[in-house]
Amino acid sequence: MKAAPYDYVRPSSIEEACTILAEAGGGAQVLAGGQTLMPLLALRMSQPFILVDINHIPELQGVTSVDGGTRVGPITRQNEALVDPILNRDLPTLIRALSHVGHHQTRNRGTIGGSIALGEPAAEMPATAVALGAKVEVRSASQTRFIPADELYFGPYATAIEPDELLTAIHYPAWPDDTITLFREVAMRPGDFALVGLVGALTVEKGVIARAGICWFGMGPTPMKAKSAEVALIGQSIDTLDAAATADLAIADTAPFGDHHATADYRRTVGRRIFVRVLQEALNMRQAA
Amino acid sequence: MNAPDRSGGIGANRFIGQRVPRKEDARLLTGKGTYVDDVVMPGMLHVAFVRSPIARGRILSIDTSIARDQPGVHAIVTQDDLARFNVTMLSFFIGPVEVAMTPLADGRVAYVGHPVVMVVADDRYLAEDAASLVVVDYAEEDAVVSIEDARHGPAVHPDTDDNVAAMMGEDEEDAEFEALLASGAHLVTQTVHHQRISQSPMETRGVVAALQGDEELLVHITCAGPHLVARWLTVALGNPKMNIRVVAKDVGGSFGLKNHPWLEEVSAILGAMLLRRPLKWIEDRIENLTASNQAREQEIILRAAFDADGKLLASHADYSLNNGAYPMGADANIAVHMFMWSAYNIPAYSFVSRGYYTNTAGLAAYRGPWAIETLVRETLMDAAARQIGIDPIEIRRRNLCTAAHQPSVTSLGIPREDITPAECLEKLLETVDVAAFRREQAEARKEGRYLGIGFAAYIEPTGAAGSIGVMTGELAQVRVDPTGKVVAIMNVHSQGHGTQTTMAQCIAEQLGVPLADVTIFDGDSSRGGFGPGAGGSRQGVIGGGAAIRAGRLLADKIKTVAAHLLNANPENISIEDGMIRVAGAPEMTRSLREIAEIAYGEPSRLPPGMETGLEAQIRYDPPAMTFTSAAHAAIVEVDAETGFVKIRRWVSSEDCGVMINPAVVEGQIAGGLAQGIGSVLLEEAGYDARGNPIAATFKDYMLPTIFDVPDFEYVHANTPSKAEGGFRGVGEGGCIIGPPTLVNAIADALAPFGEVAVDLPLTPSKLLAVIDGTPLPPKPMSRFHPEWVNPYADTAAATKTDGPVEEVPAGATLLPGGTHAALAETAARGIDGAWNLTLATPMGPQPMTATFATEGSIVRGRLESNEGAQEFEGTVEDNQVKWSMKVTKPMPITLKYDLTFDGDTVTGKCKMGMFGTAKVKGQRV
Repeated sequence: MKAAPYDYVRPSSIEEACTILAEAGGGAQVLAGGQTLMPLLALRMSQPFILVDINHIPELQGVTSVDGGTRVGPITRQNEALVDPILNRDLPTLIRALSHVGHHQTRNRGTIGGSIALGEPAAEMPATAVALGAKVEVRSASQTRFIPADELYFGPYATAIEPDELLTAIHYPAWPDDTITLFREVAMRPGDFALVGLVGALTVEKGVIARAGICWFGMGPTPMKAKSAEVALIGQSIDTLDAAATADLAIADTAPFGDHHATADYRRTVGRRIFVRVLQEALNMRQAA
Repeated sequence: MNAPDRSGGIGANRFIGQRVPRKEDARLLTGKGTYVDDVVMPGMLHVAFVRSPIARGRILSIDTSIARDQPGVHAIVTQDDLARFNVTMLSFFIGPVEVAMTPLADGRVAYVGHPVVMVVADDRYLAEDAASLVVVDYAEEDAVVSIEDARHGPAVHPDTDDNVAAMMGEDEEDAEFEALLASGAHLVTQTVHHQRISQSPMETRGVVAALQGDEELLVHITCAGPHLVARWLTVALGNPKMNIRVVAKDVGGSFGLKNHPWLEEVSAILGAMLLRRPLKWIEDRIENLTASNQAREQEIILRAAFDADGKLLASHADYSLNNGAYPMGADANIAVHMFMWSAYNIPAYSFVSRGYYTNTAGLAAYRGPWAIETLVRETLMDAAARQIGIDPIEIRRRNLCTAAHQPSVTSLGIPREDITPAECLEKLLETVDVAAFRREQAEARKEGRYLGIGFAAYIEPTGAAGSIGVMTGELAQVRVDPTGKVVAIMNVHSQGHGTQTTMAQCIAEQLGVPLADVTIFDGDSSRGGFGPGAGGSRQGVIGGGAAIRAGRLLADKIKTVAAHLLNANPENISIEDGMIRVAGAPEMTRSLREIAEIAYGEPSRLPPGMETGLEAQIRYDPPAMTFTSAAHAAIVEVDAETGFVKIRRWVSSEDCGVMINPAVVEGQIAGGLAQGIGSVLLEEAGYDARGNPIAATFKDYMLPTIFDVPDFEYVHANTPSKAEGGFRGVGEGGCIIGPPTLVNAIADALAPFGEVAVDLPLTPSKLLAVIDGTPLPPKPMSRFHPEWVNPYADTAAATKTDGPVEEVPAGATLLPGGTHAALAETAARGIDGAWNLTLATPMGPQPMTATFATEGSIVRGRLESNEGAQEFEGTVEDNQVKWSMKVTKPMPITLKYDLTFDGDTVTGKCKMGMFGTAKVKGQRV
């Protein structure tokens, strides 16, 4: 199919973009890397009046270290992020998840912010933002506000970003060096959206878990934060931790659906198994270190 | 391999058998191909279709008024506008389809995606904008979606009695055969549910049609064979007073989908005639995945009886095939049964086979359309090995047809010789160390890792010609131009098969010219001669044979001319690398160009009476069928935590005869295996219960990617065939033998957990259910099944079908009472005279006229059809008449008729040798 007619604008600043969004009154659609949006336009599932191409706004590009963490510009390409020295040094969990986003070819265009703003519940970037406790910075013509990632998603493709707002940055908080990554994705084919996905970070201080951020993807209508498991993990010794009991808590915070690729039971069963395995493998490596 | 020299030509084996790079690759891989969407014509307009959003229902109204006024819109076309053309939709065999069918929907819609309105605009964007503004009102009816729906539900087509589109075989239980099956020491039953498959060619369907004045209709269409499409269109359009020229230079895959045009292409062609403007329609991917014809949705229950030693005694298959709403020929897929056991020795085989109409996209061919025979048989053999307690290789060794068993005929009477499945298996086992694998498997299981090995063996008919009307021989026209360059016109028609290289290899070898000097053209019905194009694994066998023979004929002429010019003996002339040499006289060497210039331009220097020019043409008709054999092995690991399958190794051992180009052979095998892997693990073009497609994009229709396909190993266990060049076909085999090889490997891996039901695709959910012992819930029962209970019955009023009222068929009129003799006399009066009969053959309905004259218990008659007329004599009892007659076309078989007369109608069946039993219907003339 071919896209329905729309106007195309290419603002060169955030202010210009926000003015266009405000004037469009909800009829605009922001174009970042286009790896999801272009097919949706061609399928006429998205029919904006105006397409706002933000690829030429320099302020939206790049990774910087800031006080207390890392600021990622939303139009940073996924492949640029993968080789970014700051992200590789400070956010290895994000790097691990990024390598599973789409394919090398789509990562050349696909952006970090585009994926987070879209809110696909089975995608890696929204869940990673939730797991790591990121905040997204959104701006409109009248204000700037910050939304914690775990308050960003309401349902598939439904976010707290208002139609007149533009995602202008993702702020990932700093995680100490003593942080281990939890990651596993089960997908029909490499590069597909997850049937079951798990991403998380655990900070271990003197053999005790001091900080935990864990989120599921493909396990409900939004990224599903494993809150009960996070709470239960904090303060536990890695030598006496009961991975199976923690997995039960983590699975309790999911709401998977069934489709013709996998049943809901499959997602729960395999989710619990990968949680146990990923946690044990991570802790074993920690103990060996 | 070192192929024996069977070509008898000059410089034998210089090119045949060589792994030369494909001549067309640089062009195709750098975007220089000409596919149908690359064709642009002056004044061309673009088509978009308004398609049915419901699977079954009546069209109440079509409002085109808003759409018509949109900018750039030239026409909004409905079936009312196309009715003037009086089109007959045809099957692949150029016979009329069995149900009423129009290019655009005529009052009813029969599947989601059914084209209802054709919008013609300046470009495709505008056409789609306008299409979204056409308002169609429907009265939706309950959709008949699955095969089970078709068995119990209302008729999909109002003009048919039931949803059986085609039936072959024995539809009544045969007590004797059942006793035979029960007589063995072991009875093994294997059931396969095969999902629906989309052929998914990289290039979707498409057409550009333009009248060239009133004398020619030019049709650029992506297709499997331009000549077949030209023939199909000429007949379908009622033999219009113009030439129909079909062109398709490059084609991006067909896999069975593009054998002939269907609703959309015909609509666009008619639109071009109606508007007298060139029209282009390019199918987009959603249309391709949801509205193109599809394949494979089928169920089969195969039973086989074995004696105590594991030898086959008898087998029976019950097979059903979803034909969709508008199949490209109603099909019970007789080939499934023809080849079910053809690689094995089995004394008796019986079957029943039914194709069903449903409210889904229609049936088309798919690479190895009969492939389910290999899938169900080879998975049955493994299940039998486990059940009887024999090794899966050993059970095959005991039953496969070896050289010692040939020539012979199969239990269905098919002549069988020159097949090597047992030999392919033994060659395979020289490469695959099964004992070492079994040790590794045992060790792995101790660690909770589940490895499995699967085997399969099969034979496949390739290069068929001469027994089915459109499957003809192939013409090759070869010429040496005055420049010395060689051009060949053929109709093998590459869909990406590399025939511009392989056919050039055949010709270059015969002519003794460099490969670069030979160019093959095969994309235009105005050139060359009739052939069906690509299909039935025929290019190498028939095209290759034609290329060799035409090349040889031309080489002979060149040598004759050269001998005359050089005053030498033709036997002493050789052509090497484009130079003509005389043995022992190097100073007399001439270039082919020098000889060609004389042959065309200086008739006086040619031998007396010789035609000028250097041109040759030959039509090659191969043996009726050339068999390819193979055995494969695959090794997999199944992750017991997730149910995911990892293919660790795959070895192909095939006998495809003399190889023209091993790289092309291996490419064909690999491509077929990739599709087989997709069928087993990933792909599914299904529907929900309401008839909505569940896979509309490649996000949901999961083709295997390069990550899902291993590096295959090839053992070429080749033996020359009896066809010219010794070739055997290799196009479809991977797609046929791949699925059972992989299923058997998975089943072997999971044997500790129990049997794996072959319900494709074997998704991780299904395999994990086997591993965990937590069976998945059964599939929901058809809403049309008599035992179905509406789960919403308490809350909603029972839905009533809005469709045609189903009438209980009127009971057969009983004859008045009386003595038996009186009854016979009454019956005789009801039989005598002329009748129009229709025989439902595998190639489509065959009309016949029969006359009967009864005399007591004897009936004499005469049967006339397109195939000729024949007299017969049979028996009559009450109102039932039986006779048998031998026919020779399309092949020699005995037909046994059994008809029952009732008033002015007659029904019954005809037993047609290996083709099983076909329905007969008729009326008094």
